[in-house]
Parts: sequence; C-alpha cells; structure tokens
Amino acid sequence: MKPPLFLFRHVTKRFGDRVLLNIDQFAVSEGVCALISGENGAGKTTLLKIVSGLIKPDSAKVHVKEVEMSWAKARARIQRNVVYLHQDPYMLDTSVERNVAYGLRLHKEPRASIYEKVADALRWARLDHLAHRNARSLSGGEKQRVALTRARIVNPSVLALDEPTTNMDQQSRISTYQLIDELRNEGMAILVASHDQTGFTPIADHHTQLVGGKLIEVETAVRRSRGTKITRFPG
Amino acid sequence: MESLTDASFRALSLLVSGDAELWAIISISFGVSLQAILYTTPVALLTAYALAHFEFPGRRTLVSLFHTLLAVPAVVVGLTLYLILSRSGPFGDLKLLFTQTAMVLGQMVLSFPILVAMGHSALQSADQRVWETAHTLGATPLRAMFTVMHEVRYGLFAAVIAAFGRIIAEVGCSMMVGGNILNYTRNITTAIALETSKGQFAQGIALGIVLLVLALVLNYSLSTLRHRLAMQA
Ligand SMILES: Nc1ncnc2c1ncn2[C@@H]1O[C@H](COP(=O)(O)OP(=O)(O)OP(=O)(O)O)[C@@H](O)[C@H]1O
Ligand SMILES: [Mg+2]
Repeated sequence: MKPPLFLFRHVTKRFGDRVLLNIDQFAVSEGVCALISGENGAGKTTLLKIVSGLIKPDSAKVHVKEVEMSWAKARARIQRNVVYLHQDPYMLDTSVERNVAYGLRLHKEPRASIYEKVADALRWARLDHLAHRNARSLSGGEKQRVALTRARIVNPSVLALDEPTTNMDQQSRISTYQLIDELRNEGMAILVASHDQTGFTPIADHHTQLVGGKLIEVETAVRRSRGTKITRFPG
Repeated sequence: MESLTDASFRALSLLVSGDAELWAIISISFGVSLQAILYTTPVALLTAYALAHFEFPGRRTLVSLFHTLLAVPAVVVGLTLYLILSRSGPFGDLKLLFTQTAMVLGQMVLSFPILVAMGHSALQSADQRVWETAHTLGATPLRAMFTVMHEVRYGLFAAVIAAFGRIIAEVGCSMMVGGNILNYTRNITTAIALETSKGQFAQGIALGIVLLVLALVLNYSLSTLRHRLAMQA
C-alpha cells in the first residue's frame, strides 16, 4: 500500500482553556474517502481547516509522503495540494462563472481553455443557466454547488469538504455523492465532515467520529475494488 | 466694494466665459490633489491591509495612532513641512519650498492617515472566508490580498473619495508650503483667501462654487457607495 500523502500525528488545538482536538493520528491517502462525523461543536470544521493549512494547530507532527516536516514547510505543501470547501461557502462578489474560474485563473492558462472548462463544469453542476448571475444572489444550495464546482475544477490531490450537502436538494445530493465517488476512484483523497451519514456511508472508505477531541473508528474500512462502476446511483 | 449680487453675477460669468486665470487655478488644485492621492493610495492601502491582516505587537496602538493623526490640522502639517523644506531646514538643499511638489507632499501627508484609517475599517470588515477561499484555491498571499481588496472595493473607494475631499479643500498647508504663486502654486483655496483679503469677491465666489459642486459630487458618490456597501452586507 502507498504511504499516505499527509500523515498528521499528535494534533492538538485549544481555544482558551478548552482542548478542542487531541488527535493521535490522521492520515490523508490517495484514492480514499474518509467520513468524519460528530456533534455540533465537536471540532470537525477545525480539524478540516488544520488539515487544509488554514488554521495552525497548537502542535502537530506532519509527515508528507513519510518525510517529517515543520508546520511552516508542511503548510506550503498542504496549500498546493488541498482545497477546503467551507460549510457555509463564501461567494466572491462577481458572476458565478468568474467564481468558478477563480482557481484556474491563478495559473497561466489560456482564457479560452479556462472558460471551456468552466462551462463544462457548470453544465455538470446544472448551474449553466446561472453562469452570469452575481453569485451572492444565489440560494444556499446553489451557493454550495457553485463552491463545490469551484473547488473540484482546480483538480487538487485532496478535497476537504465541510458539510457539502446540507442545503442541497435530493438530486444535487445524489450527483454530489456520485462526483465524490468518481473523484476518489480517479485517485483523489476526499475528506468529508458531515451529519449526512446515510448519504456518505455507502461511498466512504473510512468513517470516524470526533468525540471529546479524539477520533474514534466507526466502521472498519471497506476497500472497494478499483474501477468497478458503482450502479447504486441513477446516472 | 461691489455688492454681493454684482459679485455673484461676475462670478458666474467668469466660470461660464472660461476665464483663463480662474481655470488655471482650478486645474492646479486638481492636478496637485490628484497626484497626492495617486501616490499615497497604494502605500496607504498596503499599510491598511497589513494592519488588518497581520497580528503583531503594537498593532492596535498603530491603528489608534492613525485615527489620532486624522485630527492633525493642515496648518500644522504645513508648518512642519515648511521647517523641513525651508532653506535652513534639513531638506533645504532640495529647494522644494513654494513649489507644486511641496504642495503634493503636504497633501500626501494629510491624506495618508485618512486612507489608512478608512481603508483599515473596510479591510477589517472583510469576511475571513474571503482570504481562506483565495488561499485554498491556490492564490499567493499577494493575490489573496487583491481578492480581499476587491471584495471590499466600495469601502476602499469611499476612503479615496473622502481623502480627496479633504485635501482639495485644505488651505493651511498649501498656503504655507506653496506660497500662493499665480499660475504655479495658487490653487482654489489659497486664491479664495487672497482675493477675499483684497476685497475682490467675484473670483472667490466662482471658486467657492466649484468647491461646493465638487463637495456635492463627492458626497453623492460617497452615499452611493455607502448604499452599495449596505446592500452588500
Ligand atoms: N476561533 C475560535 N475561537 C474560539 N472558539 C472557537 C473558534 N473556532 C471554533 N471554536 C469553538 O470550537 C468548537 C468546535 O468548532 P467547529 O466549528 O470545529 O465544530 P464543528 O464540529 O464543525 O460543528 P458543526 O457541526 O456545528 O459544524 C466550537 O465550540 C467553537 O465554538
Ligand atoms: Mg463545522
């Protein structure tokens, strides 16, 4: 088995007197979808933000492909590889199309090819009719779909999804499960924090629960054979 | 001394007829103040961003310092600059006293705290998620900064407009370091002061009208921006 992309060990984070996280080990591996559940305020968002390099832990040992690094160094690697999706995504004050194009426009890529990709992604997300609307005027579920599209289009090695389906309707949920399954099968590492256990349990390889700052295994990993098409979801 | 009605009538005809001296004075005012804003804005906004974004010791003291500097009278800035630039001052060799450059410098000093203080408030109001979104999607710190600035652009425009409004209406500093030389450093405010002291009101009134119209336009733009800001929140 390949070593994990990122291995976080002895992660602690406190706010004031309260020790929110005290995690022995957390692995992020290619082609693995990890589901993290837990009560409100358990620290799921905080954990995902640490793993995405957005919050500095009070202490942590980070191994990047088995090489131990300082937080500062690991953080740069993390930023290049992990995209975090907010629980309540922020829409930039511009069109839906430009929101989705944001990540691609950061790199030197011809405009035509960027907007071709954006158009494809929007069509997939059934957002093409909203392409020119200001993203801030969208509904909660639409915003979540824009944010997911904006995150996946940059094709990161790791996608950290914080409650990606909360505001979505049934059809959007199903296509989100399907997308996550596809991306995972293509080798992306997916981390999902969610209360939607019925939806995510079938596609997750691991399911852990955050209780009292610790991660507890809920279900032993069911590794699927790669390449088998999942037929559970209608196309 | 002419009557107020006569003076007002002559003022309007000066404006409408395109009186060369009058319009030279107006263009000096705009030229100097626009230059000052142009040079100050980038540095001031970078400072404001640093104050809003980075944690460092003394940050809050610095922020209140800039708020305090807002209250420094223009004549005091003028006096300080005069002493620095006068022949016996430390930068006397540059021979900048009574030049447009000196006026630009003075107005830069005056506009800096306004731009920093108002820019800081605008940038501080930006949602933390803007920076996080930019950062996680692969933006460099510089690029993330521009994204944050773009999100609060109306607040930043408001800062620029307020700063411009203050320096174009300022008289004390321009008078002291500009010297009120016709066709060179005589701007709207110093011309009004001079003409009035000579008992010649027409030009003063005409220039006053220009300043009032400008104030109206600037305030209207500010309230439009405030409206946009309110809509955005
Ligand atoms: N910056 C902060 N300062 C102080 N306390 C914080 C901060 N961020 C988070 N917390 C606290 O840490 C706890 C965990 O927050 P977190 O957002 O990680 O929970 P969560 O598991 O994602 O909850 P939810 O299911 O509601 O999304 C909460 O009690 C929260 O108040
Ligand atoms: Mg959360």
